[in-house]
Amino acid sequence: MTTEEIRAPASHATMADVRVPQERQATLGQRIYRYRFVYLMLVPTFALLLTFNYYPAFMGLYRAFFKWDIGLQPEFLGLGNFEKLFIRDDIFIKSLRHVSLLTSWRVISAVTFPFIVAELIFNLRSNVHKYTYRVLTILPAVVPGIVILLLWQFIYDGTHGLLNAFLEGVGLEDWQQPWLGSPKTALYAVTFMGFPWVGGVTVLIYLAGLQGISDEVIDSSLVDGCSGLRRIFAIDIPLILGQFKLIIVLAVIGGLQGWVAVFVMTAGGPGTASMVPGLWMYNNAFLWNKMGYASAIGMFLFVLIMGLTILNVKFVKTGDY
Amino acid sequence: MTVLEGQPQPVQRVSLGAGWRRAWRTGDWWRHLGLGGFLFFMFLPFIITIIISFKDIPQFDHYPFTVTFPLHPDNYLEAWRIVSRYILNSIITSGTSVVGMVILAAIAAWAFARYPFPGREFFFFGVLALLMVPGELTLIPAFLLVKDLGLLNTRWVLIAPYIAGGQVFAIFILRQFFEALPGEMFEAARIDGATELQVFRHIGIPLSQSILGVVAIMHVLSTWNDVIWPLVTLRSNELMTLTIGLYAFRTAWYTIWGPLMAGYVIASIPLIILFAFTSRLFVEGLSSGAIKM
Repeated sequence: MTTEEIRAPASHATMADVRVPQERQATLGQRIYRYRFVYLMLVPTFALLLTFNYYPAFMGLYRAFFKWDIGLQPEFLGLGNFEKLFIRDDIFIKSLRHVSLLTSWRVISAVTFPFIVAELIFNLRSNVHKYTYRVLTILPAVVPGIVILLLWQFIYDGTHGLLNAFLEGVGLEDWQQPWLGSPKTALYAVTFMGFPWVGGVTVLIYLAGLQGISDEVIDSSLVDGCSGLRRIFAIDIPLILGQFKLIIVLAVIGGLQGWVAVFVMTAGGPGTASMVPGLWMYNNAFLWNKMGYASAIGMFLFVLIMGLTILNVKFVKTGDY
Repeated sequence: MTVLEGQPQPVQRVSLGAGWRRAWRTGDWWRHLGLGGFLFFMFLPFIITIIISFKDIPQFDHYPFTVTFPLHPDNYLEAWRIVSRYILNSIITSGTSVVGMVILAAIAAWAFARYPFPGREFFFFGVLALLMVPGELTLIPAFLLVKDLGLLNTRWVLIAPYIAGGQVFAIFILRQFFEALPGEMFEAARIDGATELQVFRHIGIPLSQSILGVVAIMHVLSTWNDVIWPLVTLRSNELMTLTIGLYAFRTAWYTIWGPLMAGYVIASIPLIILFAFTSRLFVEGLSSGAIKM
């Protein structure tokens, strides 16, 4: 299901719709009474959603306008939290720069490396090989995310790390660093972790798109002498723009929400050298109990994610074929 | 989607040797080379993890990244003693919440798919709208809510919100699937005197096993990997799930790399076993799981 499908009205006529003609004449009250057991089926679902999803969501929006420290009476501030956020909070402004770098790299790497891998797999002649490579590519996605983060922490380790050992091996001792511990490199280390940046899931999405291209198109391009790199740029990429769009949206959202990685790797440090907005929200809420101020950051992230998603869906056009 | 979708020709039954010769002739060899390169670097961290997990401290100090003898499998025993409790906790949490979530989501999706009750689209939109709400917005109020409910530091503090949140996407997926099922079958069952409940239990559910499996696996993956929610709501070591347990383990055992890496390996095994048995559902689940956000 793509974003288009999410927006599409999901109202196919079911059998029950056309079952009983006289149902049309029934009054609203009668129809509600007739389906009373259906409402009963929805009660547990909505009881949970209202408690654990709707109530916190509206509370988050509401309390963003309050000074709200745990144990104290909430105090209405109007736009005070946002004013402080954008005018007086230097660390927050800095964290915005950091998150733009993180997100940009996520987008750039997600539209290049996994696509190259997908093209390599797609063009293999043997279906057995295709299948093998697909399973191998997806396998790392099964390893728990926390293990991968902790492993990269080890790779960047100043004294025992793999990266420094590699630099020593190729004679670049001068470049050795405590990568996550130095303010100069911490942010870049977090940004560029995950080499070679091939997400198995992303590869699968591209592959699904490539396999959806009809054989006639590919065959006729071959007849016309269009093959290799030229086919990739003239046919494959334009035909799977939908997949690219989806992956860009996912990368943007993932970048803005990806503060858990920063939390595990550096906790935003050293100092605030790798601080990102999500983590700044966490610190305000759970280290300093400033719940209202943190809610304002949460609301800002919500608006930003929504806005960027809508922009992306609207302006990155999908080709019509 | 199955593996060979869009590939009408059957799988070629050629021996591996012939396959490689063909690969050479058709010029596929450089594709294998490229893919091999990518895969090498993707798997390198895991290979090195396994190598280090068999080392004691002096071995690591002298030859950190190559295989050294004797191997020290006792690292695994040591790590198991700590990590096993976290694995059990994660199995309990993800297991309970996935059962509850699938049951509730299937019932709700069935209601949305098959009955034209007044307010259907309104209520469905009420579910769908939650797809747009990121965890950042709800984290703080949800934390204060479970604190007021007295759920902090219990198993329910994870299970209840996981069931609630997991339903949203599952209902969306399941409704589409249920709607596409042929209605004549249910009509026939009703005429034969089946009650609505029997139609759902004995026809609807059996026909939907694979999509229910996909939805379940996606839920297990996301709850298994959750970091922040257990981190803010659990304090006692007895209840910690795998993610935050490993994090605590790392902090406590920093620089004792052998058992630490063994712990990382053990932590990866449950999902790898699940993957081995349900790889088809996994591939479907992972591709639609990404689409979730």
